Amino acid sequence: MPEEKQEKVFSLPKKGQRNRCKTGIDTLDAILNGGIPRGNTVLITGSCGTGKTTTSLEFLVHGALYGENCLFLSVTEASEKLLANLIPYEFFDDSLLKRGKLMFIDMPAIYERLGLQKSEFSFEEIDLLVDALGDIVKELKIKRLVIDSVTSVCFQLKTEEKIRDFILKLGKKLSDLGCTSLLVSEILPSDARYSTYGVEEAIADGIILMGNYERRGDLLRTLQVVKMRGTTHSRAKYVLDLTPIGVLLVPMLKGGGE
Amino acid sequence: MGATEQIFESLKELPEGSVIALEANSEAYFDVIRVITEKIPKHKNLDVIYINSTLPANSIINVMELLDIKRDNIYFVDCGSSVLLTQQASNGHIIFVESATMLENIMLKVEYLMRKMDKKKGKLIFIDSINSLAIHNSLSILSEFMHILFNNMRSKGAYTVVLSIKEQSSDEMSKALTMVCDEKIDVKEEW
Ligand SMILES: Nc1ncnc2c1ncn2[C@@H]1O[C@H](COP(=O)(O)OP(=O)(O)OP(=O)(O)O)[C@@H](O)[C@H]1O
Ligand SMILES: [Mg+2]
Repeated sequence: MPEEKQEKVFSLPKKGQRNRCKTGIDTLDAILNGGIPRGNTVLITGSCGTGKTTTSLEFLVHGALYGENCLFLSVTEASEKLLANLIPYEFFDDSLLKRGKLMFIDMPAIYERLGLQKSEFSFEEIDLLVDALGDIVKELKIKRLVIDSVTSVCFQLKTEEKIRDFILKLGKKLSDLGCTSLLVSEILPSDARYSTYGVEEAIADGIILMGNYERRGDLLRTLQVVKMRGTTHSRAKYVLDLTPIGVLLVPMLKGGGE
Repeated sequence: MGATEQIFESLKELPEGSVIALEANSEAYFDVIRVITEKIPKHKNLDVIYINSTLPANSIINVMELLDIKRDNIYFVDCGSSVLLTQQASNGHIIFVESATMLENIMLKVEYLMRKMDKKKGKLIFIDSINSLAIHNSLSILSEFMHILFNNMRSKGAYTVVLSIKEQSSDEMSKALTMVCDEKIDVKEEW
C-alpha cells in the first residue's frame, strides 16, 4: 500500500532531506525546493481578500489528486459555499468528494459535539479539542489539513498562554500523525506582525505571507515565504494571480519596488 | 528582397528557444506582422502569444483581416486597450492587462496562456513593441522583465521575438536588447 510506504519514508528521513508535501502549485514548490516538509504546521497569513482560502483549497485538491486524504476545517464559511468556489477549477474532479479524498467539516459542528459552547475555552477544553482534531485526522487518515481560520479559533481562547498551548499541542499531534497543515491566519494590512496574537507565528514551522501591494496606483496580490523549517527556500516576494487553472506566481520585479 | 522576405529569411532557421530583437522602421510594421502572425507560424507550426501595447488588439486584428491573415492560432495579451473605457471582456483569444505598468501581470498572462494552449504545438511570443512598454516603465525594470520572461520562454523551448521601432528607440534600449537577446536583426528598408 502506498500509504504505508509513505509512513516508512517519513520515519526514516534521509539526512538533510525530509519527505516533501508538494503543494501542486509549481512555482510555490520551486520556491520551497520541492514542497512543504511533511508534518509541518504552516501559517498562511494575510489581510482579507489576498487569496488565503483559495490557495489553501488548491493545496488540498492537488493532495487529493495525488491520492492523499485531505480535510478542510471551516470555522467561518459554510462548506457548500467553499465547494461552489472549487467547481470552476479545471483540475477539480468531483469524484474526489465522492471517494472521500477531499472532505469538509464545519468547525462549529465539532464544538457542538464536544459540548464547547462557552465564549472562552478552558485549558481542559483546549485539550479536548486538540484530541478530537487528532482523532479525526487519525481515523480519516488525513495527510493534509487546512483550518480556515485559526484566528477564529483563537478568538475563543483569548489569552496568549492558551493560544500557545493550543497551537503547540495541535502542531505536535498533527506532525506525529504525518499530517501537513495550513493554518489560515487573518491579519490587518497595518499589522507589523504575521498573526493577530503574535504567538502563532513563533510556534508555526512555516509562514506564508499573502498581501496586497500598491504600486503607482496598481494593486498586486503578493506571496512570500517568510519561514519554513526543514528546507531552504527563497524569501523573495512573488506576484500572484488567481486563475481557473489555479494560482500562478511570477517574481516581483525589483525595479518596481516603491 | 523586400522587408517581408528579409525578416522571414532571418527567422525561419532559428532553433527553439531563440530570443530575437527585431529592429525595424515603422514603415516595416505590416511586414513584421505578416511574418510573425502568418509566415513563421505556418513554417514552424506555432501558436503565437502576441503582447500588444502599441495598438489595441482589435486594431491589430483589423490589420490582420486587411492583410488576409487567419488568426485561430493567435492569442493576445492586450495592454494597448483601455479596458475601463471600452468595457471589453477577456475571451479565449484576448486577455486584457489593465495597465502596461503591470509587467508582472503580463508575465502571469503569458504563463496562463502557455498552460492553456495546445501543449503539442510550439509557441512564439511576440512583443509589439518594447518602445511602447518603455513609455510606462523605466529601462531598468523593463530589462528585468525581459530577462525573467525570456529565460522562462527559453527554458520552455518557445521562440521570443521583441520588436523595437527604430524611430522610437535609443542607444540605451539597443544596448539593453543586446543584453537579453541572442541575436538582433536589423530590418533594412531596401535589401
Ligand atoms: N479563480 C479565481 N479567479 C479570479 N478571482 C478569484 C478566483 N478565486 C478567488 N478569486 C477572488 O479572490 C478574492 C480573494 O480570495 P480568497 O477568499 O481566497 O481570499 P482570502 O484571503 O481567504 O479572503 P478572506 O480574508 O476574506 O477570507 C475573492 O474576492 C475572489 O473574488
Ligand atoms: Mg478566506
